[in-house]
Amino acid sequence: MVRRLATLGRMTLVEDLVAVLGPDRVLADQIDRHLYAMDAGVFRGEAGVVVLPETTDEVAAIVVLAERHGRSIVARGAGTGLAGGAVPLHDAIVLSTTRMNRIFDVDLDNRTAIVGPGVINLDLSRHTSPHGFHFAPDPSSQQSCTIGGNVANNSGGPHCLAEGTTVNHVLGLEVVLAGGEVLWLGGAAPDQPGLDLRGIVVGSEGTLGIVTRVLVRLIPNPPAVRTILAAFPGVESAAATVSQIIAAGIVPAALEMMDQEMTIAIENWLRAGLPVEAAAVLLAEVTGEPSAVEEEARIVERIALDNGAISAHTAADESERALLWKGRKAAFGAVAQSAPDYFLHDTVVPRTRLVAAMAAVYEIADRHGIKMMNVFHAGDGNLHPLMAFDASQPGMLDRVQAAADELVEVCVRLGGVLSGEHGVGREKRDLMPLMFTPHDLDAQARLKEAFDPEGLFNPEKVLPHGSRCFDFGRPIPEGAWV
Amino acid sequence: MSLVGADLTEFEQADPDLRTGHPPAEFHFAPASAEEAASILESASDARLPVLLWGGGTHQAIGHPVEPRVVVSTAAMKELVAWEPDDLTVVAEAGMKVADLETLLGSRRQTAALPEVGGEATVGGVVAAGISGYRRARYGPTRDRMLEVSLVTGDGRVVRGGGRVVKNVTGFDLPRLAAGSLGSLGLITSVCLKLWPLPESSATVRVADPGRAWHIAYRPLAVLESETGSMVYLQGTAREVESQAARLGGEVSPGLDWPETPDGPIVLSLRVPPADVPEAVTRLPRGRFVAQHGVGEITFALAAADEDLVALRAWAESRSGSMVVVGGESPSGFDPWGTLPPGLELQRRIMAAFDPAGILNPNRMPGGRTSGGR
Repeated sequence: MVRRLATLGRMTLVEDLVAVLGPDRVLADQIDRHLYAMDAGVFRGEAGVVVLPETTDEVAAIVVLAERHGRSIVARGAGTGLAGGAVPLHDAIVLSTTRMNRIFDVDLDNRTAIVGPGVINLDLSRHTSPHGFHFAPDPSSQQSCTIGGNVANNSGGPHCLAEGTTVNHVLGLEVVLAGGEVLWLGGAAPDQPGLDLRGIVVGSEGTLGIVTRVLVRLIPNPPAVRTILAAFPGVESAAATVSQIIAAGIVPAALEMMDQEMTIAIENWLRAGLPVEAAAVLLAEVTGEPSAVEEEARIVERIALDNGAISAHTAADESERALLWKGRKAAFGAVAQSAPDYFLHDTVVPRTRLVAAMAAVYEIADRHGIKMMNVFHAGDGNLHPLMAFDASQPGMLDRVQAAADELVEVCVRLGGVLSGEHGVGREKRDLMPLMFTPHDLDAQARLKEAFDPEGLFNPEKVLPHGSRCFDFGRPIPEGAWV
Repeated sequence: MSLVGADLTEFEQADPDLRTGHPPAEFHFAPASAEEAASILESASDARLPVLLWGGGTHQAIGHPVEPRVVVSTAAMKELVAWEPDDLTVVAEAGMKVADLETLLGSRRQTAALPEVGGEATVGGVVAAGISGYRRARYGPTRDRMLEVSLVTGDGRVVRGGGRVVKNVTGFDLPRLAAGSLGSLGLITSVCLKLWPLPESSATVRVADPGRAWHIAYRPLAVLESETGSMVYLQGTAREVESQAARLGGEVSPGLDWPETPDGPIVLSLRVPPADVPEAVTRLPRGRFVAQHGVGEITFALAAADEDLVALRAWAESRSGSMVVVGGESPSGFDPWGTLPPGLELQRRIMAAFDPAGILNPNRMPGGRTSGGR
């Protein structure tokens, strides 16, 4: 590979890329570039060329070529992201990892697997489940999103309440850095000496390098599972139930809330058995030893009823449970019947502030005249207000964006953060100063610079312009210290 | 005392207690706030004075020794900043003792699952040292509980990363990077940690085969093997603990009876993939040890330097692991870290981004700060 590259460089970028990947894995025509100019969110960028590498060596060669041609690189998994993280700007090279989709190794003794970044989240758990193990992060898009994308966004999902997000389940990764350098960070042995670079790459949204292999932790499937459905006359009583479950010393595997607009949409589509007459519905799941889950399920039911739930019952069998989850995970698909477009928000508040946050969500929706539906990870305070709208109406997208920004501001005021699992990307980049001081942003920008001095990887994402504007390091007087 | 480029005497504190336990240095400080620490470190950076950062002094044996001219301790920053029991989060200043924090959290039946260390160990210290406790098999390493960090960089910038919520992907994960950074990025002044409820019941079960126990127990707190035998630690509802204990067989005692941390002139930590723990135990030199099944860390103490150490480290590294000195003194000629980790230049660039003058715990981390040495 290296020898071949030495002869390159006088050709165009596309010619150089074709020399490395062959013509079938370099997409340069207008339709392809158009297709890869968006993720699942609302932003559109400009893709210069799309490449489909299959190996780490190919990724390294692409990085070297990008540098040589002065072009940036945006890594992309399945493109299910919503914050514009995978949207290319300024004719960037879009590096799709979908062909790096091999499960290289499953090591049940160590409870790990090594996978390519293009492996689909659900495929991994399907692969390991017969052996009694699964990969814990389970974003709603898990049927299509990739492990590489999960790493980039430190994705969560309903079951990260008890299990933690992607970073808790990635033990190591292979990453291609600036200059085409390939590094393995972390590993199956705990606490590798030196800084934990693995931890900083997870959640960095492709801005530090390109992840080419991932060593994930597998966790044992629980011996018993109980899923409880509780219906409430108001969002407040459902939120109080969430707090009291946690206060009772139970950390359920999942604790999800849906409001009435959302349950109606889901029922119209799927008939998952959700109570459409309720103002709010809680879906709680407890896992563990059979004796423990029976007891915890009863406690959850009791807390719900004590808080005025209209009903609370535990799914009778696996098929009822599966149907409830199908309804939950299909929520975003169900919205299509309401309006042609939607803007799915992602923000977090301390879970004790859920009631205040939800009141603000409805108030902002009313004021902007936008239909707002809610299905979210109540257990960890992770809100997902969903605005259904028609982008062809003039000015509509601006209104939606304004409402979205207001929501973020409210959540930060309540002690929350900009994003729980979708990432900052382009969508929330300019809101970063709501949470961070110029010093904080400067430190993050310096970190980015240490990895990627030329700004090759996914530029103009995560950090707002001018983050690296401080230089406090005054010159050291010569001979100051002997 | 006057120094070129800075005068640190204005910050000097007379309290002799501040000096206890530290190695000798010209200046000893215990700033009461991040801002005070920032002034001190800025001056020290200007004068290029090597600074040793000090928590409780319990894990200072990790890494290369530091020869400081300034010691900055967190002894005057030990307050609880915020505790939201219903949110399962706590914010503590770095100098707060781990034991004090856990006692306080225990009063509402919560835990930060920090190392089960008593004594002087501080929250900031165990975080900076990257030390995890025996409950790691269930709750993950300490860095998994880091939600927010405030630190003062080597050149005196006050920087905060993360947020006080349990789920967050807003900017780079500085809290996680700070965990285990051994002071190379800054003086940690406060952290926000994720908490867990303490289950109602717990038990310790003596087992004959710890490897088998790890596989048949459903997510135990810990499976520990030591020179005195093997124990499985369980926690949960009373019935759950009872049924798990019955399935494991063996003698059951109520509560969690943690083994004593191995101590001696040299204490080492052997880190291998979890499945290699049984073999690692057979390779250990005679002496006290605690092996964490399912985790891959074995801590052991030696009476004296032993040639076997080189072979044992080589074996650990051949298993993609490591063997590092965590207590006592590294035998002469025996590097405390072993083979240098990959990406050393990148590590140095990151440290330089936070500590441009290279004054913080110089050379403590593997490979030191600069490729050419100081």
